[in-house]
Amino acid sequence: MSSVPGLTALARWRLSRRLNHEAEHCAVPWLAAYLASLADLLSLPVSQMPLLAFDLEMTGLEPSVDEILSIGAVPIDGPRLTLTGAWHSLVAGDTGVGQSACIHGIVDQDLQQGTKLERALVELFARAKGRWLVAHHAPLDISFLTHAIEHLYGINVSLPAIDTMALEHRRLQMTQQPWVEGGLRLAACRQRYGLPLYPAHNALMDAIGCGELLLAQKSAMQPASVIELLQ
Amino acid sequence: MDSSELQPIFDFVNGLVPFNQLQPESLEWAARQLEIAYFPAASHIVPLSDDDRRLYIVRSGAFEVRDKEGELVDRLGEGDYFGYPSLLSGDEISNSVKVLEDGLVYQLPEECFSELCSANREFSRFFNRAYARRMRHEGRFKARSMLTTSRLSSLMSSDPITIDIDQLVGEAARLMSQHRVSSVLVQEGEQLVGILTDRDLRSRVLAEDKGPFTRIADVMTTAPLTVEPETLVFEATVLMGEHNVHHLPVTRNGKPVGMVTSTDILRSQSSQPLLMMGEIDRQTHIEGLVNLSKRIPMLLQNLISADARAEEIGRILTSVTDALTRRLIELAQSQLGEAPMDFCWLAFGSQGRQDQVACSDQDNGMLLAREPDSQEAEYFSQLAKIVCDGLDACGYIYCPGDIMAMNPKWRMSLKEWQQRFSSWVNSPEPKALMHASIFFDMRAIYGPERLFDGLQLSVLELTRDNDIFLALLTGNAMNSRPPLGFFRQFVLERDGSEVKGIDLKHKGSAIINDIARVYALSAGVREINTPKRIRQLVDLGVINRKDALNLADAQEFIAHMRLANQGRQFEEGQKPDNYLKPGAVSSLVRHQLKEAFKVVDDAQSGIRLRFMRAY
Repeated sequence: MSSVPGLTALARWRLSRRLNHEAEHCAVPWLAAYLASLADLLSLPVSQMPLLAFDLEMTGLEPSVDEILSIGAVPIDGPRLTLTGAWHSLVAGDTGVGQSACIHGIVDQDLQQGTKLERALVELFARAKGRWLVAHHAPLDISFLTHAIEHLYGINVSLPAIDTMALEHRRLQMTQQPWVEGGLRLAACRQRYGLPLYPAHNALMDAIGCGELLLAQKSAMQPASVIELLQ
Repeated sequence: MDSSELQPIFDFVNGLVPFNQLQPESLEWAARQLEIAYFPAASHIVPLSDDDRRLYIVRSGAFEVRDKEGELVDRLGEGDYFGYPSLLSGDEISNSVKVLEDGLVYQLPEECFSELCSANREFSRFFNRAYARRMRHEGRFKARSMLTTSRLSSLMSSDPITIDIDQLVGEAARLMSQHRVSSVLVQEGEQLVGILTDRDLRSRVLAEDKGPFTRIADVMTTAPLTVEPETLVFEATVLMGEHNVHHLPVTRNGKPVGMVTSTDILRSQSSQPLLMMGEIDRQTHIEGLVNLSKRIPMLLQNLISADARAEEIGRILTSVTDALTRRLIELAQSQLGEAPMDFCWLAFGSQGRQDQVACSDQDNGMLLAREPDSQEAEYFSQLAKIVCDGLDACGYIYCPGDIMAMNPKWRMSLKEWQQRFSSWVNSPEPKALMHASIFFDMRAIYGPERLFDGLQLSVLELTRDNDIFLALLTGNAMNSRPPLGFFRQFVLERDGSEVKGIDLKHKGSAIINDIARVYALSAGVREINTPKRIRQLVDLGVINRKDALNLADAQEFIAHMRLANQGRQFEEGQKPDNYLKPGAVSSLVRHQLKEAFKVVDDAQSGIRLRFMRAY
């Protein structure tokens, strides 16, 4: 993917300014620290940029109604995912699991041992410090995070993230490949790059699956700047 | 976090030898140390660095290992490893890894690998073996002789006493008494050209009124019978007996490297097959031979438990069959009188290739020097009947396909045999050719060499570079495929008792025999024994060394599994067959078998590319 260097530099500057601005005005210290750490990342070459692939399991798709059940995350350093840094946490919520237990295999009993949502968020962002967040269909996961932050602290924050689904969508459009319904699901995207099928469905394995997909996409797209990935 | 969150990764690693040998805690620990990287085919190579060594585990995709010279060392797919040689040796990384197909690779950092190696013997042993195998693949041929005890090299005198052909007999005699030896090897340059023995000095010098100033060249035995250091002791003994000599120069590429005498051999303890062959030669009645042959299963059992190489076991068992056949022919002649003309007893198939195992049936024929008249034909008919009946009584059952010398169809003159081969070679129908393939593995068990040579050389003349024939023969060799797909089922059916198992003969050894035959006939190679064919094909440059080593290793491993399996069946009182039951082998052996079958599959593709391209 080629890009105009001048415009990229401009976009980088704009993002940097926005991140610094958000960090300065953020009343939650750990979140401010996180946002500030991202601004520093913008000068790194794409090949070295540190990432954190993550995934949330939720009770549904509506942030204002549904709850986060579990969080999984795995760091990516340069060309590698490191499993020593893999993390998974169940999140205790106010309401029961309901119907979605069938999908995730998480039952209420497990959640009693889970961390409170706030502690889970603090831990997630501590792990994400100095790393760009990566998720498959990131807008959904990010909206749950920002909603939780708003709910806990009463502040609005915008979190940049790399969306492997959007990247795949873009790539398919550019290469004019036809795609079928469901062709942008994680498993379908992975298949296109010859990545193996991971049968289990939990937040950590999905985070790993998403991280591997990003490595494959990066090697196929050869982006010149992280800006291309964040768009 | 509990382990189930990473279950798919644990499951994958746990399905791999030798990770499956680890304790569950070690396995879990190891899996958590993994790093995951993706290599697109477009990036061509996997960057490897001496400062950052890892064990690489292929999770998906395909890779290729090449050495410094760019020669292919290994092809890797899911569940295969690379990077371990430098982890084990500490040497600089010299191989490169090429990406053939986009792939995901799990990587275990060096400290973790070392930790697992020191904590678990099976784990380190697996990689050390794999490393040893790699080393062998990278230029050896010498590591062949693992079992040194039964080879000539273990008892021959090295640094043989030699003398130049221009010297005189007196000098030779002085040399011999000085070194207290009974013979001296005669060289021209570095090549062995003759031998001079105590007996020669007596009968060709003194008894002929010649003196010490006689030229060695005039009295020596020229072009003596020689053997190689790898020759089995017992084979050398057979040779000495057949040719009535007591000295066997040991040479390599024509240069003398040692000497073996009958006394050397006597001194080494007499081994069981040798004793048995001696007894065979002393029998005067067929009943005696039948009784002796009852010991063959026990002999096989002893050889298997002595861990002899499968190739050697095949040669030893075949030598016993040969000896029985020869003795039967002699007994028949003492009954019927001398044969009216020269003839050869031909062995086909496994006896021809010298890879007989238990429960072989007979495949033989007779080659007559010329067209017999009716009386002569009757003589050979009776001779063949006696020998074939005798072999059947000894446990070598009649050939179900009736390929036996007692069938007049397979008792022919040289001219008729030549015509028969010519009709197989020149107007080949695939089906007819398939049934005829065992005839191309023929060896003379009895009779004058030059008669047999006349047939064999004319056959090779027909087949060499005969594209149409070779393409059809190759087509036949593709009919059976190695059971690569079997290994996935293997896991599922591990405890199923109804599983028939892998047919090690027809899906393994037989295919390798087919492949070696195609190459041998294409290049006019006279060897019949499959490992010897392969060795000669390498020397002639027909197949490259690496492929040959792989194929020879696969042949030995599959044959070894087949013998070990039959040994176990024998012990359990079952009828030996060629089916290896999945439950009977460890996952390590399964891994090795899979590798061996992969080699067979590659070799099959190799002949298809080479001989079937145009058709």
